[in-house]
Formats: sequence, C-alpha cells, structure tokens
Amino acid sequence: MPELPDLNPVVHEKLRLALLSLLAGVEEAEFTWLRARTGATDGNLGAHLAKLERAGYVAVKEKFVQRKPQTLYRLTEAGRGALTEYVQALKQLLGAAIDT
Amino acid sequence: MQEETSTKDLTARLALIESMLAEGRRQSESWGWTFLLWGVALYVAIVWGTWGQKLSVWGRSDLAWPVTMLAASLLTIAIGLKKGRRQPGTTVGRALVSLWICGGISMFLLFPALSISGRLDQHSFVAMIAGVLGIANGVSGMILRWKMQFACAVVWWVTSIAACFGSDAQLTAIFLAAIFICQIVFGVYTMILESRRRPAGVVHA
Repeated sequence: MPELPDLNPVVHEKLRLALLSLLAGVEEAEFTWLRARTGATDGNLGAHLAKLERAGYVAVKEKFVQRKPQTLYRLTEAGRGALTEYVQALKQLLGAAIDT
Repeated sequence: MQEETSTKDLTARLALIESMLAEGRRQSESWGWTFLLWGVALYVAIVWGTWGQKLSVWGRSDLAWPVTMLAASLLTIAIGLKKGRRQPGTTVGRALVSLWICGGISMFLLFPALSISGRLDQHSFVAMIAGVLGIANGVSGMILRWKMQFACAVVWWVTSIAACFGSDAQLTAIFLAAIFICQIVFGVYTMILESRRRPAGVVHA
C-alpha cells in the first residue's frame, strides 16, 4: 500500500488555507479586502498573514495611496507551490479514504 | 494531525479552496458607471457639436468633441482611481482595462490627426468609433462570457457598417440609437447587476 502524504501544517489551518486560496485568484490584495472576504478579525488575520509571510508563502508590500497607508499581500511562487502540493495531498488522502 | 482529519473535513477543505479561488477571481470591480458616463458624454458632444452654434453659451461647436471627451476622460480616471483603490487586481481585470484604455488612446490620437489633415468626415468618424467600440465590447464579452456585452458589440458593428451608407440624418439617428442601447441602457443594466452582488463569504478560523 502506498504511503499517504503529510498535510503541510502551515497551509492546513483553515483561515490560512482560505487566504492562500484567495491570493491564488488575484495578483495582489489589500488587508481590508482579505478581511472582508474571510470575515476574520484584524488581530487574527494579521497573525495568520504573518505566519504565511514567515513561511515565505506570501510577500507584503506597504504603500501610500492618497496619503492613506495600504498593505498589499501577494502569493509567492513558494506559496503557490505549497498550495498545489496541499491540494494534491488532499486528493490523495480522499482517494485513499474512498478506497478503504 | 492525519488521524484527526476525517473524510468530511478533507472534503470541506477542498470546497473551501474552490470557493475562495472563485471569490478571488470573481470580478469585483464595478464599471457600469463608465458606460453611462461615456454615453452621456457622447450625447453632450453630439448636441453641442450639432446644435451648439444656435446656443449663445456653447457657441464654439468646434470645441465640442475635444472638450467633452477630455472632460469625460479626466472624470473616468478620477472616479476609477477612487473606486478601484480597495479592489485587488486580477489578470483578467488588467487585460480588460488595458483593452479599453488602448482603444481610447487609438481614438484620441487618430481623430485629431484625421481632423487636422482634413480627411475626417461624419460617416467615417462614426464608423471608426463604432468599430473600436465593437472590438472592445466584443473582446470583453468573450473574455467574461457575457452575452449582453457581446450583443452590444454586435450593435456597434452594425452601426459601423450602417455609418458607411445613408444620409447624414440617418447616420445621426443610428448613432444616437446605438449610444442609447450600448451605453445608457447597458450601463444602467450593469450598475443594477453590480448592486445586487452577493456579500463576501466568511471563514471561521
């Protein structure tokens, strides 16, 4: 029987998974847009984004638009790769669950 | 962790990924107002350019098109920057905006050049505007798989062909009708659709 894959714990957490998936669909997104889409609180969202940034899965850019600060998040190549691997692992696990 | 993850949980996570990907890719920009704004701008330019000389206030009818189009462009940029500030950029969105901007630039360069060289007449002017709008609406409609916008492209293409024939009065009538259908009606319809968009999904961490 083939060995089942491990799920990446950084990606597996529900809010982080949602954030990575959201960012996979856009070029870059602002903090407030991510907050509105996920319904997370500022603190919770900030903590999870920081964890994704530390893992190298998202890149952060600060800029000022009309004198107002904007924090933009972008999925990195490593982040895209991690999400792809996670989906493949998930499908493999589901396939194994159906077979048993 | 693996022991804790049930089939139900794994399926829920796959569903979450799918819904969030779709949410990110969903066109959240609102552009219905631009159709309405440019429809009104075209009407103002036509009225000013055609009947302006009879009005004491708008006596310089030769300025009708440059002034109206420039004012509409500046308004579009100002409102677009304000509205789009908080929206994330998508590749599709950037492609569509680029298409419309480049179509606009082509017209802004071509028409003054043709006018200065004396090679522009009413019929070729309408045929070219309608042709460019047909391309922009057609490409947007095909990318977004939106039949209503593609129908607008068909109206513009018909207008473009019709502009090559008939009298000046017929030309004005068909141009005004095309603007009404593809800019005013389509703009209002798009704005109604945009206002009915469902609210964002919520993820409980």
